[in-house]
Amino acid sequence: MELHNVLDFPILSLSIFLPLAGALVIWLFVKGDDAVKWASLAVSIATFVVTLPLALVFDTTTAHMQFEEFQPWISSFNINYHLGVDGISMPFIVLTSLLTVICVISAWRCIEKRVKEYMIAFLVLETTLIGVFSALDAVLFYFFWEALLIPMYLIIGIWGGKNRVYATLKFFLYTLAGSVLMLIALLAMYFEAGKTFSLLAFMDYPFNLEWQIWIFIAFFIAFAVKVPMWPVHTWLPDAHTEAPTAGSVILAGILLKMGAYGFLRFSLPMLPDASQYFVPFMVALSLVAIVYISFVAMMQTDMKRLIAYSSIAHMGFVTLGTFMFTQAAVEGAVIGMISHGFVAAALFLCVGVMYDRLHTREIGDYGGVVNVMPVFAAVMLFFCMANVALPGASAFVGEIMVLIGTFEANPVYMDVSTKWVAIAATTSVVLSACYTLWMYKRVVMGDLVKDSVKSMKDMTAREFGFFVPLMLLTLWMGLYPVPVLDLLHVSVEHLIAQATTSKLDAAAALVQAMPVVDAAHH
Amino acid sequence: MANVTFPFPFPDHLITLLPEMIVAIMAMALLLIDVFITKGSKVTAYLAILTTIVAGVATVSLQSSEPLVAFYGFFVFDSFAVFSKVLIYIATAMAMILSLEFMKDEKHVGEYYVLMLFAMLGMMLMVSSNNFVTMYLGLELMALSVYVLVAFQREVLRANEAALKYFILGALSSGMLLYGVTFLYGVTGSFEFAVMGEKLTQGGGATSAAVMLGLVFLIAGLGFKVSMAPFHMWTPDAYEGAPSPITAFMSVAPKVAGFVVFMRIVVDLLPSLQPQYEAILTGMAVLTIAIGNLAAIAQRNIKRMLAYSTVGHVGFVMLGLLAGTAAGFSGILVYLSIYLVMTMGVFAVIILMRREGIQGELLDDFAGLSRVRPGYALAMGLFMFSMAGIPFLGGFWAKYVVFIAAVEAGHLYLVLFALLFSAVGAFYYLRVVKYIYFDEERVAFNFIESKPMQATVIVTAILIVAIGVFPDPLLEMCRQALGGLV
Repeated sequence: MELHNVLDFPILSLSIFLPLAGALVIWLFVKGDDAVKWASLAVSIATFVVTLPLALVFDTTTAHMQFEEFQPWISSFNINYHLGVDGISMPFIVLTSLLTVICVISAWRCIEKRVKEYMIAFLVLETTLIGVFSALDAVLFYFFWEALLIPMYLIIGIWGGKNRVYATLKFFLYTLAGSVLMLIALLAMYFEAGKTFSLLAFMDYPFNLEWQIWIFIAFFIAFAVKVPMWPVHTWLPDAHTEAPTAGSVILAGILLKMGAYGFLRFSLPMLPDASQYFVPFMVALSLVAIVYISFVAMMQTDMKRLIAYSSIAHMGFVTLGTFMFTQAAVEGAVIGMISHGFVAAALFLCVGVMYDRLHTREIGDYGGVVNVMPVFAAVMLFFCMANVALPGASAFVGEIMVLIGTFEANPVYMDVSTKWVAIAATTSVVLSACYTLWMYKRVVMGDLVKDSVKSMKDMTAREFGFFVPLMLLTLWMGLYPVPVLDLLHVSVEHLIAQATTSKLDAAAALVQAMPVVDAAHH
Repeated sequence: MANVTFPFPFPDHLITLLPEMIVAIMAMALLLIDVFITKGSKVTAYLAILTTIVAGVATVSLQSSEPLVAFYGFFVFDSFAVFSKVLIYIATAMAMILSLEFMKDEKHVGEYYVLMLFAMLGMMLMVSSNNFVTMYLGLELMALSVYVLVAFQREVLRANEAALKYFILGALSSGMLLYGVTFLYGVTGSFEFAVMGEKLTQGGGATSAAVMLGLVFLIAGLGFKVSMAPFHMWTPDAYEGAPSPITAFMSVAPKVAGFVVFMRIVVDLLPSLQPQYEAILTGMAVLTIAIGNLAAIAQRNIKRMLAYSTVGHVGFVMLGLLAGTAAGFSGILVYLSIYLVMTMGVFAVIILMRREGIQGELLDDFAGLSRVRPGYALAMGLFMFSMAGIPFLGGFWAKYVVFIAAVEAGHLYLVLFALLFSAVGAFYYLRVVKYIYFDEERVAFNFIESKPMQATVIVTAILIVAIGVFPDPLLEMCRQALGGLV
């Protein structure tokens, strides 16, 4: 029995618009910083509760979109308010609503100026993020995808560090320049596929190879900037460094996943042949991210920058897994994304905890933190180990699956055996241990020499509180990933079937069937 | 277009001119009334605003399903004209509202509103013209009135400089336009767009030197009026020197009138010259988009910045013109409507920030606005993001409609170019947001407290969000308005 159909309740709409409505109410009616904080917490928790049924009554036996909603929106262009989730998008919605709660709590003490605007920005951001992951109409997707730049621009620009204006402008313009290419690709697809913006229709429409390649390039630029992939990653370290803690959490936890999600939702199923064609290219860029960026991370003196580069390296794993077209690799990529959502978010929170005390992120300003903050040191060790992908942590599951999937993959257009790719990617195990543990050693271990560090107090219950769910989730996914894998199995299977079924025969048949129309097209 | 001749004798022709007559009579009456009005009173202003409203009501109520062609082809009254006239009324009325406080200390303030009415009258004739004679009459009436309005603050040096530049270049461009028309008249023997178009089509040898010269001069002359590059040079100076409400007025209303004439000419006169005018306009569109968006980055004065931003927007609108399809033309109307709302809102905020000595014009002057007036800051932020074309705001759909029309018409590379430059353009809009939200207040603010202007800010801000979320009604209206044209 499909419970969600029985419920027949617009859960997705509610989770999109509840934060927005909450933001509006807070803006208009709530006065005083404390009241604003409690109200935002209530709204974010309510949203989290609303999104929970998505996971609880999710039907794992079908690859069809679930919780679908359909309303005509802009009839002139056949744009519809069409929502729905499958096993690939649903986890990100829940992750978004969970991380937003944590962001709100983490801002409790450290945001002192313009609390109201801050909370409103985060709630609006949540709306746009959930919108991105649930949209099944290309324009609706683009609508949310672009709209989220506004709150993020303000979050980094108003509450960020010294260099915030540069960082936020760079972030905005990089991602905007990337996404305009996506828009033009979507417009072109609209006409080619018969005046529809439905993502499902795009997946079914047989684009010929030339079309696929051009559209793939446009999509690639948009998504690669968001992931971010080398060499368009340079906005990320700046944005992370300057963003307030919660901004970094959302950035690492959710925003980076949008790019990889884009590959999974758009490139692979809509452009299977082009995706195959570009495998060597994607693999090369992923390996650069994994290996080269890991070395870059090692050389960082700023903790946030280091974690930012580590994120890029981990996302390299995700893009690698995505373009291997095997069940294990793609599932590993998604697990990797979710896991990175916990781990990177938690590491940024750790840096935030220390930053709130000493107002510096330089590794050199710390040392011997374990002596004054033992509980914190334990928590941070846990997440550092998770970042290294130690068995038992969620990241391990993701990485091992990507590696297994890579070993067994057999892409058409690759000259080199993927065995070598997997071996190159495996170096990450060592490299990530190097930069993460070395940072941990320099910051937490050692003797207590600096006076400033001596004055640091251990974590409060509130601070410990927001680490607990992340720790539990990391452990749970690391030790018993089966429930999450169950969510993914059918959807990923369907995705791989789409991505490995060539559209070229159908495209050729289409040309044969309608020679006149085709001539008019070119 | 369907050339439906008006079936009634002369007096009935007059009825289609009712809105024009109302405006003309009221403008002249206001000149007389103003003599008896004490200085500082706003009666003239209110009467002028009332005139635009009455004209609007008259225009809308006269609308019929059939396009009416009166005075033997000199004047056309169709849904297309009605829609563009309504846009012009709204722009004029809003500019007048913005002038209420701004101009209250000026001498001869009565003439100011009368000149605005005459400019509006000129534009009304332009959008209803079916014929170069009517068009030129309207164009010159508009241009002459606006020259004077730019120079209205006589004691301000830069206003005089701006007006003089504008006047000289404007006169030159009018001359070019006339010169072009004479060539086309020589070839076709008519001034009426449709008749000329038919002759050109019949002629077959459409690319004769005379026709090409005529076409080039025609586009140059009209391009000047709507600030297409390379005929945009006057724009930043005139925008900067003019009183801010006039800047708002001239960045919207003449553009509407100019593009309407352009569309009529493209549809009726130029079908046989499509490859030629497309080539010219493509080059100009590329130039306009690039110059507008790049030069705006270097500006420190927000009025100059907005001048270049207007040039950039004109470049985007030209994509609709280039598409040459119904979708493109209705896209132009959508773009102009949304642009009207954004521009009026932006200028309302700029004018509200006027202070003693400082005019609230440098970008620096916006520093810290969000602390002092969060409401204005939010509105300004919304307008800026909207101009940059970020979704959930109207500006996104403005770009969307012309871009999709251009893609459909096969101008994929041009749209790609425009999209990339719209990302470049985002930089200078974001910079305004940066001053408003990220920077600390430097100079104490001194706001004009004016209810009508504050209402303008609120209404435009709400409209820009409403159109952004539910664009369908506006799109539908624009498509229906097009019924009179194609």
